[in-house]
Amino acid sequence: MTDDGVQVFLTTGRTIRQGSSMELGKLTREYQEAVAVCELDEETLVSIGVEDGNPIRIDSQYGSVVVRAKLNRRASSGIAFVPCGPYANVVLGPDTGESGMPEFKSIPCRISAAHGAPVLSPRELLLSFVSGDE
Amino acid sequence: MTAGRLKHVVCPFCGCLCDDIALEIKDGTIVRNENGCAISKSKFLNHTRDRMETPSVRIDGNLVPTTLEEAVKSAARILASAKRPLVYGLSSTENDAHREAYRIAEMLGGVVDNTSSVCHGPTVIGSQESGEIHGSLGEVRNRADFVVYWGANPQYAHPRHMSRFTRAAGLYNETREIVVVDIRRSVSAGAADRFMQIEPGFDLEVLGAMRAILRGHVLDVESVGGLSTSELYELVQRMKAASYGTLFFGLGLSQSRGKHHNVDAAIRLVQDLNRYTRWTMLPMRGHYNVTGANKTSTWQTGYPFAVDYSRSYPRYQPGEYTAIDLLRRDEVDAILNVAADPAAHFPGRLVRELGRIPIINLDPKQNMTSLVAAVNIPTAISGIETDGAASRMDGLPLYLKKCVEPPEGVKPDRDILRMILEEIGRSET
Repeated sequence: MTDDGVQVFLTTGRTIRQGSSMELGKLTREYQEAVAVCELDEETLVSIGVEDGNPIRIDSQYGSVVVRAKLNRRASSGIAFVPCGPYANVVLGPDTGESGMPEFKSIPCRISAAHGAPVLSPRELLLSFVSGDE
Repeated sequence: MTAGRLKHVVCPFCGCLCDDIALEIKDGTIVRNENGCAISKSKFLNHTRDRMETPSVRIDGNLVPTTLEEAVKSAARILASAKRPLVYGLSSTENDAHREAYRIAEMLGGVVDNTSSVCHGPTVIGSQESGEIHGSLGEVRNRADFVVYWGANPQYAHPRHMSRFTRAAGLYNETREIVVVDIRRSVSAGAADRFMQIEPGFDLEVLGAMRAILRGHVLDVESVGGLSTSELYELVQRMKAASYGTLFFGLGLSQSRGKHHNVDAAIRLVQDLNRYTRWTMLPMRGHYNVTGANKTSTWQTGYPFAVDYSRSYPRYQPGEYTAIDLLRRDEVDAILNVAADPAAHFPGRLVRELGRIPIINLDPKQNMTSLVAAVNIPTAISGIETDGAASRMDGLPLYLKKCVEPPEGVKPDRDILRMILEEIGRSET
């Protein structure tokens, strides 16, 4: 276990829950529970000292966000997955390399335990950005 | 329709545009969706939930309910006074709305970009470099004996893609081989015959190595991008031996390091395979009418996305006139957002920029952009409350049905955009 967390490549994409809950509304609890998660393998969860459902912090050079850890038994060490949406966006890069496309895939990130830290609602997350409090 | 049963409804969620949905309607509300996937069911059965209830304008920092006419006037005033307005979105609405959006962009001398710039924009650029080797989904279902999904997770993003087109009952159901190439073992990998895991960011190298093998070169390395050379030789040989192969590719290819170069390399691999056998390739398009947005933009402006009208004639340049780049350079001073949610899907640093720019937001539902918009105008849901045309991921146009009436006073995107266009015209004369 380490307090510094582990280094991973973070990738984003769709999930069934992300798609279904989006249709219920992006400001709903269901949407938050679908997208404010980070899927990790068991070894990584053990190494940062958290269990399935605990809050974790994701840090990249672009930002930092707290989401809930989610055990994915198919996952392998070194790759974290966050469903596309407002939580993943915090740590994504805006540079497009003159292609129009920002950095949605394989972002170098550090994952660490965030014991007791709150997971903001989509509304709170957005307003923290707009007000510059993030 | 207020009650009864509708058959052969097209689902307006993903690029599969499943056209076999059957709906049961009671008291003007959809109560049952047959054949749809979990997301389709959620979309149809919750179409009345979480709606934007009334037009609103921001006054002293607060959104205040107003009439449609006043919201349209506010929208026109903001857009007409902007120096660098951006018209954005369009992928989750029907083609007639697109036409009005292009007319507004042209009239304003602004920029019009659709959401493909943050999904398969690199695919479009790659195709402009190397061409398209298209086949229809029907052709895949009835002819393909070998299918590759590269950087795509259809079981989650296009839940019926496999069951309708690549695992469907038919001539090749028993013998068709499905390979998934991805950086992680997705749920689709479990539904395939074989999973090949590559290292993040090495798509271009792997595709290049496969082309070299196909052309008879001997690789003097043991592995490329996490795959052993022997695995790559075997994969290429099996692809070459197929009678009809299709390469489906997702954002894992177009959004990863290399971007349009990755797509370009995949196109060239498929071109090379056509020296030996028949191969096609198709992008797994996400929003149900993002393919249509590229098509209508090309019909009307000459270019598929990232179109600038500031010199009165259309110019095209991804990286310059794409929404992300315009925001990153702090160029935009007003946004007309149509059926998209940039505040939920743009990188965080740019969301902060969105909070500083007046946004006119057209959407049926509350979303994250509606929280920061200067003007919100509720619209009817295309394919549920209003009709129109949309294009499936393989380019096939399908007609969306109006299944139920929209909430009272709520109009389709095309009508709202026409009202804004007319109001801008009045303010300029």
